[in-house]
Amino acid sequence: MSKPRVAIFDFACCEGCQLQIVNFEEEILDLIGAVDVVEWREAMSEQSTEYDIAIIEGSITRPEDAEKLKTIRERASILIAIGACATIGGINKLKNNFDLDEVKEYVYGEDAKMPHLNTEMTMAVDEVVKVDYKIHGCPIDNQELAYAIRCLLMGKVPVIPDYPVCVECKSKENVCRWEYGEICIGPITRAGCGAKCPSASFRCFGCRGYIDNPNVDAARDVMEKHGLTAEDLKSKMVLFGSKQGPTI
Amino acid sequence: MSMKKISKTGFGEFITHIINTDGNVYGVQAKTEAKGDRFAFGPLTSADDLRLDYDVTLSPPKKYLLPPKETLVKYEVGGGYESSICKCKSILIGVHPYDLVAIKQMDELFSQDEYDTHYMTRRRNTTIIACDVAKASPNVFASSMGTATVTDGYDILLTDIGGAYVAHAATEKGEALLTEAAPSAGDATEADIAARKAVQDKNDTGLNQHELKCGPADIPGLLEKGYDSPVWEEKAATCYSCGSCNLTCPTCYCFDVQDDVAWSLKEGARHRAWDGCLLENFANVAGDHNFRKKREARYRHRLYRKGSYIPKKLGGEIACVGCGRCVGACLPDIANPVAVYNQLLEETK
Amino acid sequence: MCECSCADKKDIYLPALATVSKQELLNDTEMYLHLQLDSGEPLGHAAGQFVEVSVAGLGEAPISVSSSPTQDGFELVVRNVGSVTNAIHNLKAGDKLGIRGPYGSGYGIDELKGKDLVFICGGIGLVPQRSLINYVIDNRGDFGAVTILQGTKDYTQRFFTDELARWDAMDDITMLETIDEAHPEWSGNVGVVTTLIPKIDIDLTQAAILVCGPPIMYKFVLITMKEKNVAKENIFVNLERRMKCGVGKCGHCQMNGQYVCQSGPVYRYSDLDNIPEAI
Repeated sequence: MSKPRVAIFDFACCEGCQLQIVNFEEEILDLIGAVDVVEWREAMSEQSTEYDIAIIEGSITRPEDAEKLKTIRERASILIAIGACATIGGINKLKNNFDLDEVKEYVYGEDAKMPHLNTEMTMAVDEVVKVDYKIHGCPIDNQELAYAIRCLLMGKVPVIPDYPVCVECKSKENVCRWEYGEICIGPITRAGCGAKCPSASFRCFGCRGYIDNPNVDAARDVMEKHGLTAEDLKSKMVLFGSKQGPTI
Repeated sequence: MSMKKISKTGFGEFITHIINTDGNVYGVQAKTEAKGDRFAFGPLTSADDLRLDYDVTLSPPKKYLLPPKETLVKYEVGGGYESSICKCKSILIGVHPYDLVAIKQMDELFSQDEYDTHYMTRRRNTTIIACDVAKASPNVFASSMGTATVTDGYDILLTDIGGAYVAHAATEKGEALLTEAAPSAGDATEADIAARKAVQDKNDTGLNQHELKCGPADIPGLLEKGYDSPVWEEKAATCYSCGSCNLTCPTCYCFDVQDDVAWSLKEGARHRAWDGCLLENFANVAGDHNFRKKREARYRHRLYRKGSYIPKKLGGEIACVGCGRCVGACLPDIANPVAVYNQLLEETK
Repeated sequence: MCECSCADKKDIYLPALATVSKQELLNDTEMYLHLQLDSGEPLGHAAGQFVEVSVAGLGEAPISVSSSPTQDGFELVVRNVGSVTNAIHNLKAGDKLGIRGPYGSGYGIDELKGKDLVFICGGIGLVPQRSLINYVIDNRGDFGAVTILQGTKDYTQRFFTDELARWDAMDDITMLETIDEAHPEWSGNVGVVTTLIPKIDIDLTQAAILVCGPPIMYKFVLITMKEKNVAKENIFVNLERRMKCGVGKCGHCQMNGQYVCQSGPVYRYSDLDNIPEAI
C-alpha cells in the first residue's frame, strides 16, 4: 500500500497548531515515514492538488476561504480539523457577538471598507464542509494528532474523549481551581488535553469545546453556591464558547 | 509479630535506610504548589519530605496498584501477543487504615473468579508501611464505616504516640524490613502500646465528619428498598457526570481498554485506563445504544456498587471506606454517600 | 490475598491466536468465520458463550460463538459495526485473530434436557441460538420437540439459508420463517416474528422458550408469552451489553449487580425480575 498523501492548510488562526506539528521534533521523521506530506505552507514550499488526508487549521472568515475549503474537501477523502479555530471557531468567534461593521471599524479604522480587509462572521470548518475528525484544543496536543493519524492509517476511528476535563484533572491530582475562587469551566469542557491548564495552576478556559451533554442545572447550582451569577459564568465561557456548535 | 518503638530521630534514619536500599519508594508528601495543606503520594527521595501528619491524600494509593494507565499486552500487528506485566518492587509509606481496607477489597476483587495477574503482581511486589490517622480530614467518615483503624492489611503499621512511633509488623516481610531498617528500635513498652491504643480508640470514633445514622451492615438493606427513591433524581439533577467521585475513590476500579500502535504500524500495545460509571457513555454498546443514559441511573449505580453490588462479591463488606474524597471532589456537592444513605434511612422510617 | 505464585497464573488479557480456516460474507453486514486455535486445542465452549475477538492495533469485540461445541473448530458471525469488526470483515483464510474466552455462562443445558424447545430468533439473534440448535440436533435424544422461529427484517438480509433449509427438512424439527416486509422472491410468511407464534402446535406452557433478537423484539415476544400463560421461569433471553474485558472486572457490561460477561448473556427471564436495568 502506498503511503497516504497528507496536505496541511491554514485559514484564520495564529498557526500555533501547525507549530505543534513542527514541535514533533524527531517524531516528525516517524510521521513522514508513515505518510507523504505533499503540502504544508509553514514548513515546505511544495504544493499539491492531490492528497488523501487534508488537515485544516483555522476558521473561515472570508468568502474566498470558504470556496478554497470546499475545493480541499472535494479533493480529500478524509478531512481533519485541528485546533479550536477550526473545530469550534475558537477565539475568532468572539467577533460574532458584535455587529460586523462595528467590528471592522474598530479593528481597521478608516481602512475598514478596503476590499482586501473584507471579513465576515467566523465559521468553524464544519459549518462550511463535512469534517471527519476533530482534534480540539488551543493549541492542539500534538500527541493526540499523532494518535489520530495512526488510527486512520490503521483503519480505526480515533477515540477522542467525550467526558469533561475533571476526569484528567483528578487523575493528575490537581486541587480543583474552584477552591482558588476561579470559575473553571472544566466540568463542561471536553477532555483530551490532559488537564494542562489546571495542572499549571490556571482554570480551564474551555478551548476543546463543550461536552455533548453539559448539565446546565449543575452549573447554575454551583454558581449560586459560590455566590456568583450565570453572567459571571458566561463571561468565562465567551472566549472559546461564543456561538459554539456541536464539538463531536 | 513484633511491636517496636522508633524514636522520631531514629524514624528519619529508618525512612532514609528504606529510600537508600529499595528502588521505588512512595510516600505521602505535601503538594507544595497547592493552596493550604494538601497531600499526595509521590516518589520519596528524602525522609524530611514524608508527612505522616497528613489528613488525606488527593488520590488514594491505588494508583500504584492499578495505575491510571497501564499496558496489558503488546503485539505485532497481524502476529502474536505478549503479556506486559510490571514486576517492579515498591514500598508505599503512609497508607491510612481506610485505604488499606480499600486495597484489601481490590485484592479480593482482582483475584476472585478470574485472577488479574497485572494487578496482583504489582500488589504482591508492594510493601505497605501504613500509619494511623494523625489528623481528621474535612470529610472523613471512616468511623461510621468501621474503617478508621485496622488490624491487618499492612506489612508495618506506624502510630505516632507523640515523641515516637510505635511500629507493628504484621507480616514476615514487614518484620524483616523493620529489623533491617530500624535495627536499634527496641520493643514497645506496655505504656507505648497503651498510647498506641489511645490513638486508635480516638480514631475509632473521631474520624466522623459525616455521621451515618445506621451501621454499615444496614446499607444493603436500605438499598434493597430504595431503588425507586426520589433521592436519585434529586441528587443527580445537579450531577456534572464528570466522574470526579469515581476517579478519587479508593474502591472504584472500572477501566477502559484501548489499543495504540507505533508509527511503524507494525507493533503496538493494548492499555487499560481508569474509567468511571458516572461518565455519560460508560454503558454504551456498539451502535451507540446507552444502557444507562439517565444521570440518575448512573448516579444510583455508583451508590449501589458501593453499598450492594460489590458487597455481594466481598461477603458483605461495604465498598465505601469513608475516606470522604468524593465528598470533597464533587463540585455540586452531591456525592456524599452518607447523605444519601441517611436520606434513605429517613424515607424508610 | 492469594498466596499462590502469580507466575503460575495465565494472563487473562492475553489473547490466544486462532487461524481463519474459512470465511464467507453472508449478506451485506454479516461475515461468517470458521476458526481453529493455533494451539490445536478445542475452544471448549458451551452453547451460548462468547469470545473476545482481538485485532491487534484496533482492539477487541465480544462475539457470540455460533457453532455447536460438538463441531470441529468454532464459528463466529460478525456484523460490521466498528473498527474491529470492519477489520474482521477483511480477513482471508489463513489470517490470524486473537481470541480470549470462551466467557459467560451460556445456556444451562441440563435445565433444558427433556424439554420441548422453542427458539425465537430475530435477525442476527440466530447466531448465538444456532450454537444450541446444532448442539440439540447432535444430541437429539436428550430433548423434546424442537421449533425454530426465525424473523428477518428484509429478504436480502437472510443468512444461513442452506442451514435453515436443512433444519426445515428434518422430520423432528419445526422450522418457521418470516420476513418483516414482502419481497417478490419470498413466498413465505410476511410479518414480524411474533406472527409465527400462533402457528406453533405444541403446548408453550410446558416448553422452554429461547429468545434472541433486537431489544424491540423482546418486548413483543414477552408480551405474547404472557398472553399465552408461559411462566417467566421457562423463558430464556440473550442480552447485549458492552462486554469489554469479558472477565468481570472492567464494569462496562454490568446491569445492576450482574456482570453480563460472567452470569450472562443468557438469562432466565424470571431472574431478571431483580435486575431492573436488564430490559
